[in-house]
Amino acid sequence: MCGIAGLIAKDSPTLGKDLINMLKELVHRGKDATGVAIYENRDTIDLRVSMTAAQYQTDLADIIKKYGPVSNDRIYQGQGIFTFYEASVDMDPARVSDLNWDIDSHPDICVHSLGRSLKVYKDEGSAEELQNRHKIPAIKGTHGIGHVRLATESVENINFAHPFISYIYPELAIVHNGQFTNYFNMRRKMEHWGVRFKTNNDSEMAAHFLAYQMKEKGKDLEAALHLGLETFDGVFTLLVSTANQIGALRDRLGIKPMLYFEKAGATVLFGSEQICLTPIVSDVYATEMDPGGVQVWSV
Amino acid sequence: MVRLDLAGMKSREVNRKLKDLIKTETEIELDNPHSIHNFATALIGEGKITLHGSTGFYTGGFLEGPTIVVEGNTGWYTGDNMTSGEIIVKMNTGSNAGPSMVGGTIVIKGNSGSRAGWGMKGGTLIVCGNVGRWAGKMILGGRIVILGSVGEGIGESMYNGIIHVLDPAAEEKLGGNVKLVPIDDREKSEVESLFKKYGIQQGVDDFKSIVPRVYGRHEYVLFKPTHKQRAQA
Repeated sequence: MCGIAGLIAKDSPTLGKDLINMLKELVHRGKDATGVAIYENRDTIDLRVSMTAAQYQTDLADIIKKYGPVSNDRIYQGQGIFTFYEASVDMDPARVSDLNWDIDSHPDICVHSLGRSLKVYKDEGSAEELQNRHKIPAIKGTHGIGHVRLATESVENINFAHPFISYIYPELAIVHNGQFTNYFNMRRKMEHWGVRFKTNNDSEMAAHFLAYQMKEKGKDLEAALHLGLETFDGVFTLLVSTANQIGALRDRLGIKPMLYFEKAGATVLFGSEQICLTPIVSDVYATEMDPGGVQVWSV
Repeated sequence: MVRLDLAGMKSREVNRKLKDLIKTETEIELDNPHSIHNFATALIGEGKITLHGSTGFYTGGFLEGPTIVVEGNTGWYTGDNMTSGEIIVKMNTGSNAGPSMVGGTIVIKGNSGSRAGWGMKGGTLIVCGNVGRWAGKMILGGRIVILGSVGEGIGESMYNGIIHVLDPAAEEKLGGNVKLVPIDDREKSEVESLFKKYGIQQGVDDFKSIVPRVYGRHEYVLFKPTHKQRAQA
């Protein structure tokens, strides 16, 4: 099933908490994993990775060393077997994609987020467990997207959980509710374009596809989503965020739900169900997105 | 009359409790439902249940007999497959209100989502607010009354039954195989008595009816979503 949520709330001091509270209301749509991608205003390039064991920290340090010194690092155990590592890297912003690629080349380390504004927290279990385990700070952010997962298409592994990012286009994150039935065809085609995949999850394909269209083909988010609508096969609702936009895409038959509500004063809420908007606005009637709809909101 | 607090109760406990209570009580009041799913599903009996709050999915599914008044919102599939009784929702419902219902009445005082009354076979569904797309899709019988605006594809591929609408733009939003005709006197008096019964302040003269294009014999055309040409990626 899966559930998705999103929030645009410029300069909200409680963005991270609000998004987690929205996901808590969607717990019945999936308990395999929960994740949030939060955009904040900061001056550092922050990295978050997962490792299958803490011993790989030395390998990771060797990779990062080539790019710049680290500060404010912390290492901690996740809900399951994974160890998480978080740090700020003092590096050239133009080389973010290269660092992402280099770290992902290690079989036991997976980048969860890397960039100037984006931070992705994802782990197995519910939103409550994510919040308690990762001690998500009270982030003063601008926008964010979140996901609760009911694994259907690939293994129950947090690196296969949402939000997905793409090394091709830093700061892009997607959450996806549904299944892409043309995943293998698309993956084969995209591997010919030179795109490299880290997981076997169908949603990662969408992240790389949109990132590739925006980076290599020079499309904006809206044009990339329109092309996605024509290219992806299956049932899907996607929320895609960049450093300054959130875009939504719904399949033509409208199988997967998608609601949004625009509140006066630049707040926009997205969710799979009406109930996930209630922690922010107590009682509203949200708009259902049209099947085959593409919409983009600027932050 | 009996009054219950549902705080912390699971839907299975609530439904078991209701099943017992409805045998003896005629009026049941409930507090703190916290959007419970499957509220009063498969409940059989006579009596009135008033819920002070909102419910989740499948409220009153397979309902037979009782009157349920929800003072808040309900989620998806309200009154799924109900056979008799009443569900009155004071605020809004999610998608798929009254799907496959066979009898009874659902009154929604607020708005409803898409696919309201999908595949219903009998009974009455009244929506005082707006509905989303595909209301009354593939209905086989029954009556849907919509006071607000309707979404696209209303009555798509309906076989039988009737939909009454007030929306002046309904003609542009008709689904396939249906036509918009003026409301006749018999229908007017039936709708008027329904409005009187449920306290809805609305005249019936401006309504129009949506009926299958061919009465009794359905012209079968496969439902096709409008596809654009696939782009060469």
